[in-house]
Formats: sequence, C-alpha cells, structure tokens
Amino acid sequence: MRNSFQARIAAVLIMLLLAVIGALYLAVEAATSVAVRNQAREQLDVGARVFEQLLDMRGRQLHDAAQVLAADFGFKDAVGSGDAATIRSALANHGARINAGIMLLFNLDGGVAVSSEAHVAGVLAERLSAQMTRLHNDGAQVFMLPIHDQIYLLVQATVVAPLPIARLVLGFPIDQSFARELQQLTHLDLTLLGEQDARADIWVSTLEAGDQDEMRREAAQEMFAPDSLLSLYGETYLVQRLVLSEGEGFQVQALLHRSLTRAEAAFAPLGQHTLLISLVALLASLGGALLLARSISQPVRQLARMAERVGQGDYDGQIDLQRRDELGSLANAFVAMQSGLAERERQLAHNALHDPLTGLPNRHLALERLGSAITAERPTALLYLGIGNLRLISESCGPGGADLAIQQMTARLQPLLRPGDSIARIIADEFLLLLENTDSDNAVAIADQVQQLLIKPLQIGIADIAMDCSLGIAVYPDNGTSADELLRRASIAMGDAAKLPGRLQLYQRGRDVAHERQVRLIRDLRRATAHGELLLNFQPKLSLSGCATHQAEALLRWQHPQLGMISPGEFIPLAESTGSIQALTAWVIEEAMRQLREWHDRGLLVQLSLNISTQDLVDPDLPARVRELLVKYQLAADQLTFEITESGVMLNPAVALEVLHGLRACGISLSVDDFGTGYSSLAQLKRMPVQELKIDQSFIRDLSDTSEDAVIVRSTIEMSHSLGLTVVAEGVELESSLRLLQRWHCDTAQGYFISRPLSASAFEAWVASPPVFPATTVS
Amino acid sequence: MSSCSFYIAQVALLVCCLQASSLLAASLQAELVDERGQALENAVISLRGPLDEAASAAPAVMDQLAQQFVPNVLAVRTGAAVSFPNSDNIRHHVYSFSPAKRFELRLYQGTPSEPVVFDKPGVVVLGCNIHDWMVGYVYITDDPRFAVSDAQGVATLASLPAGRYAVTLWHPQTPQMLPQEAAPLTVGTEPIQQRYSLALQGTQAPAATPPASAFGDAFKKALRDAQ
Repeated sequence: MRNSFQARIAAVLIMLLLAVIGALYLAVEAATSVAVRNQAREQLDVGARVFEQLLDMRGRQLHDAAQVLAADFGFKDAVGSGDAATIRSALANHGARINAGIMLLFNLDGGVAVSSEAHVAGVLAERLSAQMTRLHNDGAQVFMLPIHDQIYLLVQATVVAPLPIARLVLGFPIDQSFARELQQLTHLDLTLLGEQDARADIWVSTLEAGDQDEMRREAAQEMFAPDSLLSLYGETYLVQRLVLSEGEGFQVQALLHRSLTRAEAAFAPLGQHTLLISLVALLASLGGALLLARSISQPVRQLARMAERVGQGDYDGQIDLQRRDELGSLANAFVAMQSGLAERERQLAHNALHDPLTGLPNRHLALERLGSAITAERPTALLYLGIGNLRLISESCGPGGADLAIQQMTARLQPLLRPGDSIARIIADEFLLLLENTDSDNAVAIADQVQQLLIKPLQIGIADIAMDCSLGIAVYPDNGTSADELLRRASIAMGDAAKLPGRLQLYQRGRDVAHERQVRLIRDLRRATAHGELLLNFQPKLSLSGCATHQAEALLRWQHPQLGMISPGEFIPLAESTGSIQALTAWVIEEAMRQLREWHDRGLLVQLSLNISTQDLVDPDLPARVRELLVKYQLAADQLTFEITESGVMLNPAVALEVLHGLRACGISLSVDDFGTGYSSLAQLKRMPVQELKIDQSFIRDLSDTSEDAVIVRSTIEMSHSLGLTVVAEGVELESSLRLLQRWHCDTAQGYFISRPLSASAFEAWVASPPVFPATTVS
Repeated sequence: MSSCSFYIAQVALLVCCLQASSLLAASLQAELVDERGQALENAVISLRGPLDEAASAAPAVMDQLAQQFVPNVLAVRTGAAVSFPNSDNIRHHVYSFSPAKRFELRLYQGTPSEPVVFDKPGVVVLGCNIHDWMVGYVYITDDPRFAVSDAQGVATLASLPAGRYAVTLWHPQTPQMLPQEAAPLTVGTEPIQQRYSLALQGTQAPAATPPASAFGDAFKKALRDAQ
C-alpha cells in the first residue's frame, strides 16, 4: 500500500502543495516584512515632516505670542524704564501669560540685560547671545537649545519703541507632555536628545523607562545612522534622526522610532490566516488527492483482480465500472478481452476434444464421457464402428470425397442418438457410439439400426458409395470396468466383426487375451527366423494318377520359445497384415530348396509345393531371387510348385501376372490354392500361367456321392482337365472321399487320411515305407 | 502730503530768516548726501557760531496726518514746546521712551491742550501705541541755527553772520543715532554752497507706510492662485 499508486499520487500532490504553500508563505512573509519596513519608513518620513511642521507651527505660535508680548505697551514701558528689577518683574509677569519657562532680555548689542533665571549667565549667556545674533541675522525665529537639564524651544521678539530697543527671548521647556503630544499626532515614538559639551545628558522620550536606558547604552556606542535599526528588549525599531539644532558644544536631535515589531504584529493575523488557509487547503487537497487516487487505483485494483482470475482461467469475473473515462473504456476492453479469451479457450478446448472435420467429440472426450458414466455406474454400451473401405473411397473420390462421406455418415447417425448418447470419432475411419443406460441386447438392436442406416449408398458427387462398416460392441459393466479396457475390447470386437459376414460382433470374453497373443506373436515373429524358431513340415501327397515321384507340401511351423508350436493359421495372417510375410516366404523358399538339395544328395527326389503369399506376388524381384537360389542349390525348377491364391492375383493383377510369368519362366510350376473359395473368374484363371488347381478342403472334407460338393468337385476336375490343368484335392480325411476322387480322376490327393504333416526325417521315413491306400491299390 | 510738509518747512525757514534779518548775513545752502552720494532727506544740519544770541526756543508742531508723523524729522531747540495736533479722524497714542524726553499722550483727537516741552538735547523717537509703523523723530539741539533737508537733500540756512561755525550733522540712520561733527564752516558775506556727506548705518528705517491688511494679502494670494 505504501508503494501503491494511490500513495504516490497523494504524496506528489502533497509535496507540490507544500512547496506552493511554503513559497506562498515565504513570499507573504517577505512582502509583509518589506511592506512593514517601507510603511514604517514612510511613516517615519511623514512623521518627520509632521514633526518638523508641528515644531515649526509651535514655534511660530510661540513667536507670535512673544511678539504680542513684546508689543505690549506696559511691557515696553517697563523695558523703557531701564530698571532691571522692574524689567525682571515684567518679564516674570508677562512670561507667565504664555507659560514661558525662561525669559531673557538682550540689549541690542547682544548683552544680557535681564534674565529670569539666575543661572543663565556666563558661557551659556554668551552662547545664547551668539546664537541669537545668528538667528537674528538668519531671520529665524525658533531655536532649540539645551540649557542645564532641559531642552528649550526659544523664540525671540524685538521690543520696538517704535525703534528696536531690546530683544526678548522666551524659552519653552520641551518636556514629556510635549513629546506625548507629538507622539499622539504622529503615532511615532519620539526621543529628544540634548547634548551639551559632547555629553548626551538630556533625554526626553515617549519610550518606556527601561527602553530609554537601553537606548542610552546603544547611543553611547554609536551614533544613529539615518534609517538604522534599534533593538530594545526584543522590540525592533526603525529610527530616523533629525538634527534640530547644532552649534558649538551643543546639539539637539530628535529620534523618531517606529516599532517594526508592533507593525509586524499587525500582520500577524494575516500570517495566521495564511497558515490556517494553507492547512485547510492542505487537508482538503490531501482528501481530494486520496479520493482521486482512490478513484483511479480502486478500478485498477479491480481490473488487476479480474486479470488474476482470468489468468487462473476463470472467465466469469464481473467488473462493475460505470465510468465514461479511460478507465471505463479499459474496463470495457477488459470485459471484451475476457469474453474473447473465454470464447477462444472454449474453442481451443472444443478443438482439443473434438474432431475438426465432423465436430464430433474425439477419443479423449469419448473416454472422458465414458469415464464419467463409469464413475456414475451407468450401464453403457460402446458401439465401435469401423469403415473398412475408407481408403478405397478416398482413392476413388479423393480425400475431399472421403471427408464428405464421413460427414454424411455421421449426419445419418445423429437422429439415432438419444439424450445422453454421443458419437465420437476415434481415428480416421473409426467411430464410437456411447449409448448410456443400454445393455448388450439393446446395443445389438441399435447396432442393427446403424447398419440399416449405413447400408444405403452415400451420394458423393456423382458416385454412389457403399460403406463397409463393421460394428463391435462392448458393454459396461459386463465387458470391463475401465474406459480404456472397454474401448480396446470394443475395438477388438469391431476387428472381429470385420471378418464376419454380418459385420457385427459383441465382444467375446477372452478376445482381448487373444488379441494380446496376436500382438506378442507379431512382435516375436520378426526375430523368429533369426532365432531359428521356424521349421518346415512336409505333408505327403498321394498321386492318384500313378506318378511315381514323391510329392509333398511344405508347411511352415513356428516353435515359439514360450507359447510352443504356433499354427500357421494363426501367425500367417498376422505376418500378412504386418508386412513380415515376405521375409517368411523368402525363408521358406530357401529352406525348402536346402531340404531338397539335402534329400537329393541322399538320392531322394521330392516334388515340393510352397505357399506363396498374396503380398509376395507384388514383389517383381521374386523370380530373380528364386532363380539365384535354384542355381545356388543346383536344383531343377520342376521340383518346385508355388501355390498361390486367387485373391493374391486379384490384388494387383498386372504385377502379379508378371511375377507369375517370371516364375514360370524359371520352370517353377504354379498351382491355384484354395480353389473355389474366392471370387476368381474362369477368365482370370485362363490368363494365369498355372498348371494345377488345388480344390479347397471345404469341398473335400465331407465329400459324399450325393452332396452338392460332389458336383462341384467333379465338374471342377473335369473343367481343369479340359483346360489342361492337373487337380489336387486337399483335406482328404476319409477313405470314401479318396475313392470318389479316384473315380473322378483327380490327379493328387492330400490330407490327414494320407498323412498329417511330418518333419523332414519323418517324411523320409514315410517315403521309405509308405502306407498302402485303397486308391493306390485300386490304381 | 509732501507738499504740505514742505509748505510747513517753508514757514519755519521764513520765521528763521525774519529773526536774522537785522544782521548783515550770508546764506548757506547745504547739500546733504550719504556715502554713496545719494541725496538724504530728513537730515539735520546745525551750526554753532560765535555770535549766537540766546534766543528762546520757538514752539514747533509735530502733526499726525494719514497715520504718519509730519514732519518725519522735527528739529527744535532745547526747551522748545512742541504741540502734537492730530489731523486724522482717528485717535493716536503718541509716546516716547527716549531718555531725552519720556512722555505719553494718551488716546486723543484734535490738539492736546498742553504742548510737550523738550528740555534736553538729544533724539526723541516718537511712536504711536496703536499704529506700530508710525515713527517720528524730534531732534533737540542746543545750536541756535539748524535746518532739515528736503527731498532733494538740500537744507538752507539764511542770514548767517560772518564768522566761523561748528557744523553738526544728524540723520535717523546715523550710527547709534548719534550726531556727527563736520568740518567747521567759515561764513563771509557771500552765500555758501556746501556739500556734506553722512556715514549711515545699514539698518532700514522702520516702514513708513501702513502695511496692507493680512486679509487683503490672503485674498490677493487666493486670486493669484486661482488664476
């Protein structure tokens, strides 16, 4: 708070104000002081003039009085009498009329004729006389002179009868009352100072007695300069000095005093008022500054708090600033920013949890919702929807077409959703429907509805697209209690469904274990060849046409170190789906050749057929490699037959046919495996350079005379023969089957009835002492 | 006014001439000047000769006319009685504190019954207690022959018997108002013209005219200021 904006504003304002007040106060003080002094000086000047005027007037009055007195006939008579006693008495009498303190009569030659005071004689009389003569010559009529212990105002008049016969001098004592009178008229303190023979021994003053003593001491030290200051007991006086009269051995001065202290005291209320006004202004400004600062800092603090809340992700803060100033617009901007931030964050959150294409929740949100359903223990069904042919759609309609298809699809599904249900896009072609309060039966029903909805083709541009949708269902709590588990199991179910014609599969208990096994197998398969875990088994074939050469099909076996023997039906699809099949095929081809070489070296001639995967047929280098191996093991190519599936050729017919022709050019025989299960056409078959058909075991296993299979098998054999192809029937498990095949002139038979797959050594033993079959015996 | 006083002086001279007509005599025409040669009016010349007869002092008149003493200077022989007629229609209070003759004629109009006898030689300064500016002088001398100069500074003494005369001169402005001795004069039968110079004191004679009233001054001043 101490460093707050509010405090700083207040501090700055107060400092400014203090400075202004201080300057003002000083200025007022200085101006007052100057004014007081000037005023005092003016008063002194005026006072001095008034004083002189008064003195002059007083002197003239006295002079006039003296004139009148001198003109009095009786007085003249007395003076004319020449009798000193008479004159003295006349002087006393007439002087008393005008309150004269001292009366002197001078002869015209300057000598004192008569004096009312006995002590005015000698030097004093001479001085007086000289002074009077000078006065007379100057035409002056008033004069001041210290006589003994008093200062006298002296005036003279000539006694004429009618010619001047004498000079009359009247002296009026200047005493305290005279000084007081002048003080009242001039409002100035007055000190009259008489000096005789360089001794200032006559003082008449209106000052206090103590002040007088003090001033006497001061005066003893220095003469008063004009306009000097005099300090008496804490009171300061401005002093003006007037020399009233001066002569040899005497001087009369008047000192006019103006008390600066008293004059300043008159201004004291001004100072007090200034101080009071300043204080009030200071307090008012302090209050104002605090209010102003508060009116700024409070909204700022409010905004800061709001910003803090925004920083913490709370966008619901309200700000209550009904102001039209900058802070108001700042607050508005703040609110706008807050709502903008909230909107953007909502958008970000939405983007983080939703699929940008469809706007559907993504996997995270789906899992979250599922998690909350689980937490609330609501029975929930997961419908995992996979689109099997999205890649095809993308290829044929372009990526935009695929997106459009997905959007249309999700739009179709929306009406299906009840409140609480949701649909999410997990990855590109996989979706998840979360159906709350749904058990497995209801889930299947809804899944059926989904399938009904999606079976109708989508209109993408001008093309009609049918989606290959597979649905896997997992149900909480039956199929799992964690969201991840449920999602995985639903996904597994979907994967399973994809392999089913109905394209719908409820999760089967343990499928996830199988799935884990698959994952493990896929992982371990890569190193199986290197670790020598693979081996070939050989299933003998029985020639029904009397061919003497030993025939067998080489079958791959995987001896897993922990899981034991893995059937090819399990790991071959995994290898095909993960792309490791080519390595396996290569191993099989080389191992088979090595075995043939070995047998050949021991005089055993065997014709081996190998299974070539679909993906091997898209490898154009295969024929070259086979040729190299044939050279390497010095084998005749006719010892080898490559079994291919119809669908393998379908994948990429051009390349596949090229590869097949290349193999055929090496001398390798080609056989169509699993004939009858695919969709291959006879036209296709005609184009392929094959020499053999292998009828799928599903036709052979339950072969009887009257079954539909019999017709197929029989006509296939006949058709093949017509096309110049030999026919192999696999899966022969019954003697009856073998008989039928023999009757229908099938060329070769293979199956458990003849022999199960054997290891190399067992095969050798089997060859050495072959069992006797009725067919062979028949033939 | 001056012609009037001149007339009176003529009358006085005529009286003197008539008295000396019995003797064979010459006349003296004295020209009285100050140190700068200016003609002096109201100067007195008196002669004392060998053949002075002890004639009694002739009575004289000091008139007050237009608030002035007329004549301004009156020369009389010791013991002369001078009457102080008042020709003004206001009263005067004539006094003298001079040692030669102290007297006082209290406020009066017309001619006081008793003339004042000046029995000691000297100068008597006359004043009026009411009108301070009025100054008159009475010169009292033991000399039998004297005259007062006119406006041209000329004083004439007729019928002077031949002989040697002591000459005394006086004027109100002589120092200390004391008479001054001049060179003796020898008179034959021929008329004499003689020039006499007097040493004077610088002091002015008192104002010979009444001052204007203070009110009149103030009024005139106010008028000037207003213009």
